[in-house]
Amino acid sequence: MMERNQIIDEIRKIVVSVVKHENFQMRDDLVAADVDGWDSLSHMMIITGIEEKFGFKFKLKDLNKLKNMGSLIEMVQTKTAM
Amino acid sequence: MQLFKNIEQSINSHIDRNAFFINGVAYTYKQFAETISKIRKGISSATKEDEKNIGVVANDDLETYAAIIALWLEGRAYVPLSPETPRQRNENVIKQAGLDTIIDSSANAVFPELKVIESKKLDAVPVDLNPKNVSDEELAYILFTSGTTGNPKGVPITRANVTGFIEAFEDFKLDITKEDRCLQMFELTFDLSVMSYLVPILKGACVYTIPKDQIKYSYIAELMEDQALTVALMVPSILHFLRPYFSEVNCPKMRYNLFCGEALPLDITNEWSQCLPNAKIMNVYGPTEDTIFCTFYHYNRNAGNKSHHGIMSIGKAMKETYTIIIDADKKVLPAGETGELCLGGIQLTPGYWKNEEKNKEAFFHIDYKGKPTRFYKTGDLCRSDEEGDILYLSRLDNQIKIQGFRVELSEIEFFCKEFLKKVNAIAVAFENKTGNTEIGLIFESAAFDTAELMKYLKTKMPAYMIPTQTLFEMTFPLNSNGKTDRNLLKKKLLEKI
Repeated sequence: MMERNQIIDEIRKIVVSVVKHENFQMRDDLVAADVDGWDSLSHMMIITGIEEKFGFKFKLKDLNKLKNMGSLIEMVQTKTAM
Repeated sequence: MQLFKNIEQSINSHIDRNAFFINGVAYTYKQFAETISKIRKGISSATKEDEKNIGVVANDDLETYAAIIALWLEGRAYVPLSPETPRQRNENVIKQAGLDTIIDSSANAVFPELKVIESKKLDAVPVDLNPKNVSDEELAYILFTSGTTGNPKGVPITRANVTGFIEAFEDFKLDITKEDRCLQMFELTFDLSVMSYLVPILKGACVYTIPKDQIKYSYIAELMEDQALTVALMVPSILHFLRPYFSEVNCPKMRYNLFCGEALPLDITNEWSQCLPNAKIMNVYGPTEDTIFCTFYHYNRNAGNKSHHGIMSIGKAMKETYTIIIDADKKVLPAGETGELCLGGIQLTPGYWKNEEKNKEAFFHIDYKGKPTRFYKTGDLCRSDEEGDILYLSRLDNQIKIQGFRVELSEIEFFCKEFLKKVNAIAVAFENKTGNTEIGLIFESAAFDTAELMKYLKTKMPAYMIPTQTLFEMTFPLNSNGKTDRNLLKKKLLEKI
């Protein structure tokens, strides 16, 4: 199973590559609206990036549960442990 | 006038039902009525009756919707201003519309330079929903659309226009009732929002909005499932976003799903229809100039549907809308012939706001059924069949010329999609270094080898129509109206070359 810190770092890199800046902190309560440029379109790109990096597909139900960064990290943990 | 009486009557007869569901909170029609009444009082205290156009800061809350209804009951017109829009553009709109006063529900006034009615800070007053007696020729709203020169064009819509739309919509006989749960996914600066809030209000149904900080497509999917939405007007782009997840979407409660604002591909609609096994699906069409939408086509899930290059027909004119197809000399063409679609009738705007030059370009009079009738040129290239169903072919201004040959970009896209099946692709024309026009293809996909595709295209189209440049984008960007942003994609292609 992947370490939580490792997952956080990989997600951070993906977000940076999509929104093209590092002006955010990977807090558990971080939401899309806190990050400049994280809109519907970049969300889809971030989701796709995570799917490619970690080798699984999100379900639509999963996407709707992603309320903040904490829930995203947790979901990646669960999915990669499966 | 009757429309505004009907609003009053509907709110009064559904006072304990939910009117809005905003960001997880339900609001009753009673709360809505109280909020409308407060804002009415705020308007009449702050302005004179002859101040007709009033701004509304387009937030996602009860006060913003109440402000619209309050202005209508007071006999005024609303001009929505999005706080997310660049400041300069908003200032341009304020100036053009001559706004002195704005209704704002924000904690801090977004436009402190105007007289601000702070709608969250008004005192409670007795409920008063009785509409003022105002001519139907007065305005209901002015929306500003992008102009070719960067100066937004104002489209004023009268109370008679909105009434005409609602009467034509009623003619669909869709049986929407107080039990319905209706999606409102549009920014208030986009006129599809008007149908999305007004139709439910007139039926005592509940309006479900999308919080601005949410990811639109996934929030819509969530609302559809968790809140069992029954009525939804959407842009086709939402389907492109949701397509990877169609197998997981099952919304048996959805009754009416309408699409507008973009060409609706038939193949994706066929797939989507399985997700909504009990819904009537309709493709509706219309520019802001003709009030929300003005033609409709019923999707038939059990038989063939009319389409052109995979794009579903936009159907027939709604009640009291006239459609004609004309050639370059404004001669009306018979069924089967291709020309520019023009619209006339009860929903047609009186003309662009203080813009005589554009009015001369876009509107004209012609004898229609023996009467001189005003028509608007849509810029959409269309053809109608013998049954009167209109097929959308392309934008007139997307027609390009390559070495003198006329090329329809949508035709290139059609053949690409036919070969690639599920990959979305758009074709754009651009000028190369020698000043000649070339065609680029942009795919909504990870990179792949296009050799087989090009081979296929060469079997379908003459050499001059074969694209010369390609670009891959994981997802297509949308403009503020939720449509695929072709201009931005073209820019990205040019940056790559």
